[in-house]
Amino acid sequence: MRKIILCALVAGTTLMAADGAAVYKPGVLLPANGEAIYKLSCVQCHGADGKQTTDTGLSRIVYKPINGLDAASLAKELKDYRYGSVNKYGYGPLMKSTLVDLSYEEIDALAEYISTNIK
Amino acid sequence: MNYKYINSMLSKMDEDLSTKGMTRRDAMKLAGLSGASFMMGGSSLQAMEKDEKPISKSGVDAKIVIVGGGLAGMSTAARLTLNLKNPDITVIEPNKESVSYQPGQTLVAAGIWDANDISYKRDDFVPEGTKIIEDKVIDFDPMNNQVTTAKGQVIDYDYLIVATGLQLDFERIEGLEHAGRAYSTGDNSRLHKAIGEDSGICSIYTAEGATKTWEQMQKYIEKAKNAKNGEKVQFLFTHPGTPIKCGGAPKKIMYLTNARLKEAGARKNAELTMYPNGGTMFGIPEYHDAILEQFKREDFKWHYRHNLVGVEIENKIAIFDSQWQEKGPFDPVMKDFEVISKHEKIRVPYDFLHITPDAVAPREVAESDIGSAGGWVPVNKETLQHIKFKNVFSLGDIAQVPMGKTGGSVRKQYKVLVENLISHMEGKPLTSKYDGYTVCPLITDIGTVMLAEFDWSVRPTPSFPLDPLVERWVFWLMKVYALKPMTMYGMLSGKA
Repeated sequence: MRKIILCALVAGTTLMAADGAAVYKPGVLLPANGEAIYKLSCVQCHGADGKQTTDTGLSRIVYKPINGLDAASLAKELKDYRYGSVNKYGYGPLMKSTLVDLSYEEIDALAEYISTNIK
Repeated sequence: MNYKYINSMLSKMDEDLSTKGMTRRDAMKLAGLSGASFMMGGSSLQAMEKDEKPISKSGVDAKIVIVGGGLAGMSTAARLTLNLKNPDITVIEPNKESVSYQPGQTLVAAGIWDANDISYKRDDFVPEGTKIIEDKVIDFDPMNNQVTTAKGQVIDYDYLIVATGLQLDFERIEGLEHAGRAYSTGDNSRLHKAIGEDSGICSIYTAEGATKTWEQMQKYIEKAKNAKNGEKVQFLFTHPGTPIKCGGAPKKIMYLTNARLKEAGARKNAELTMYPNGGTMFGIPEYHDAILEQFKREDFKWHYRHNLVGVEIENKIAIFDSQWQEKGPFDPVMKDFEVISKHEKIRVPYDFLHITPDAVAPREVAESDIGSAGGWVPVNKETLQHIKFKNVFSLGDIAQVPMGKTGGSVRKQYKVLVENLISHMEGKPLTSKYDGYTVCPLITDIGTVMLAEFDWSVRPTPSFPLDPLVERWVFWLMKVYALKPMTMYGMLSGKA
């Protein structure tokens, strides 16, 4: 029986190689990946550089720059958003809905990523 | 079949019996049953042996994918293998110890078993020919009959069985947010870091937590032993507002703590209090009454409608949301007084706090097309077929089936599911029906168990010709010696 299991595991690995890149989804108990979370949930508003300004012609939205923030205080603020105790610039509900599925570990990883990579 | 294991259990049982001046035969007589049928819960070893070659195997060919390789998933794979001519079964399960024996966690927590007694390796229980993919499904696409895993594999299926199990939601409790969510087995170091090594908080709902519960329990029993001047060491036990795995476990650990306190001669210096979120001890009136009597006899305290919402680990305070109703003003239209619901947070100091966490469906299931608003996979509760996708079935903790979150339920469900799946594959109507049977061997002391069996009729449905409300030593023997071999070697081979 062991041989069959081994074969199955090997078959599984080759299948994986064929299919390629790993996918990430927050909130499903995978090892926390700050970069993936940023690209999935944050980049639309905050931009790749953390200081996005959106101008559609009709409306101009300026987001507070988040580049280079300190990891520890950012993590704390994000956790406060997650539990709904912070509501800055009226974005509280939006931030909460974005963060609510993240575990504390994932928020820490995200804050770490922003503070070291978004300059 | 691994007879060696069963034989070693039996000889251990004989030892235990002989200390009470009995033989195994006497014990069986006591149960009103004969030998092996008692050991195997109705299906004897010989019958299982004969069962090796089923009379007719279905010849339908199809690719069956099972998501989740715990007790439910693996037992289903094994039974499908027995009933199909050309089984093509894939089980997707990331955890190497997914088949560990969870019902034993209470016994580990009371120092009766140790961690090795319940730890089992997934790969030792894979049916011949079944493929194992060691990966985690993070996306379900039932419209295209596909699932996607964390490593990026896209796996097609003809029929899908969802048996992912549930998650323990510790992060919902204020003060334990960094604990995250947990599964019963696997690496739970994050959870235990959050709880603290020596905080008096514990939970038998994870395998690792069960071992830690025993360490903490011994420590506070010692404290009770040395307590002076009428000081009472506080033992608190919680029960949350969600459906949970094994509804009896929060009480079993309370009874076992009580037993160990009595054994140490420290019971008079301890106070044991149960804080259930609901307003009863058990959903079945007969068992509720029986448990209440046991609580009074053992001098336990209890406060209904208290839900654990927070802990202050530093100060050793548990925070409960307490709910009650008050008589309001007179309503002249209804010609009666209004009833006003109120609630407030109360703070209760503890020495030893046993947490039964909220149970939730994993997010990848809850938010997918196969999930539901409550998270659980919506299935016809009798046929276990998905209500929207006819080629999807579900069983175990994740299925939206009332009262169904026990190994005892799975033991009935997996047979129903296999029969119905094969009928569906052959284009026949689904005739096999699950009746809601579940069982809770409620340990009331070291040496006694009340075997609570019931189904959707919400009445006791005993398997044995004995009063179901009496705590019996013979059911203790069954719980401690017989149920594990039946589960590990009967169910996981698809037979019992």
